[in-house]
Amino acid sequence: MSAAADTFPSTIEACDCLTRFGDADRTAEALLLGRIALSLLPVLGRDGGDSVPLALMGPIDETLPPRWLGVLSRFASRIPAGKWGAPREPVVVTSSNFGIGSLYAFTRDRDARHIAHGTPFASVELLRRELGWGTQVQVFSHACVSAHLGLAHAARLLHADLVDRVLVFSHDFVSPFVAAGFHSLKILNGGMPAPFSDREIGSIGLGDGAGFAVLTRGAGPIRIAAHAMHNEMFHFTSNRPDGDGFGACARAIAAAAGGRSVWVKGHGTGTLEAGRLEAVELARQFPGAPLVSWKGSLGHTLGSCGMVELAVTLAALRTGRVPGTVGATAPCFTDNVALEPFAAGAFDAVVLTSNAFGGAHAAMLLCHD
Amino acid sequence: MSDPTTTRLKSLIVTTLKLADIKPEDIPDDEPLIGSPRLGLDSIDALELVLVVEKEFGVKIGSSEESRQALGSVKALAAYLKAHQGNS
Repeated sequence: MSAAADTFPSTIEACDCLTRFGDADRTAEALLLGRIALSLLPVLGRDGGDSVPLALMGPIDETLPPRWLGVLSRFASRIPAGKWGAPREPVVVTSSNFGIGSLYAFTRDRDARHIAHGTPFASVELLRRELGWGTQVQVFSHACVSAHLGLAHAARLLHADLVDRVLVFSHDFVSPFVAAGFHSLKILNGGMPAPFSDREIGSIGLGDGAGFAVLTRGAGPIRIAAHAMHNEMFHFTSNRPDGDGFGACARAIAAAAGGRSVWVKGHGTGTLEAGRLEAVELARQFPGAPLVSWKGSLGHTLGSCGMVELAVTLAALRTGRVPGTVGATAPCFTDNVALEPFAAGAFDAVVLTSNAFGGAHAAMLLCHD
Repeated sequence: MSDPTTTRLKSLIVTTLKLADIKPEDIPDDEPLIGSPRLGLDSIDALELVLVVEKEFGVKIGSSEESRQALGSVKALAAYLKAHQGNS
């Protein structure tokens, strides 16, 4: 069963991201050149451990103040002026891990100053004060679909005329705690990710990421026309083997796309089972539509991935060239996987998808005139 | 006579996963460890089991695909350990 997509259009007034490569334009440029931001680094940072693919903006070990604060503070200077955090211009902060690295640092070093930044709301409050936002800051977290949920919530707020503009701000910085968690699941290992490639051993990479979007009401020239969300309720760490969790979300966003000519920015982390299910279901719902993933270069930026990849998509549309699936090689699970860059001009919309632990799926339809 | 590795593995499975109603000798060598209605293990149990086995036997299981192969059964896990001990 598929729930219908939300079709509350919201105009993107501004959107940018920050990755290992830099802002959205630099990231798109690097992806077009096939550059890989990931490198093999010790999973536990200064404590060593196996080397795994990470794309970090600085050393993984947590600092005082937390390593993400200065980076985000500088990045936030790109946000258009506004009464951010005022009742009609709220901020929606989304993350998967917030300041969890600080809790790990406290456990490791027993320095109580880390605790102040460790919990989700404490980390957001620190950010709010640092960036001078008002008190209307809402927090969303649902693993790796967090950014999608924040954008969908913003569209609902705008549709209900509860607000005039919304700043959706997403970030996730990798910590030894998070890297070790994925490592213990054996999906973050010594191999570089090759999203949608049909091979013997899969692996993901992890990356630091941040992004923002300022949304306003209505259907402007660059707009998110629809959001689809679905939860399989099947299992915490695995998807329904028939792929219908992916299918349900894809069907809903395909119905909203209504026959538009689209390309698809998939989730594509580099795991084999989920990658196959995703590629097959997206090919079924969007026959002939090129499918790309950029996590083979940027790594999986976790809860921020939906925002980071939205910003990169917009940068690609500005240049007219869409980066291919960097890091992947043939054979792929399906024929629709685009390994090389292609022209954006042949399409009039983009479908962006993300998936998360717990069987959560999210997709949005980005339309442009 | 049963293989000492399989005997040790069965004990580890019961104690690690706190299988109250199952004795080590009740676990057949060839029964799938994950998805078996008798054992009722899921992927979180698999994670726990892999971590304990790695520690106990000094073997690293490198990927989720290897993990799935190794956890095919007690017999498969014992064979995996024998093949990889000393390589880590």
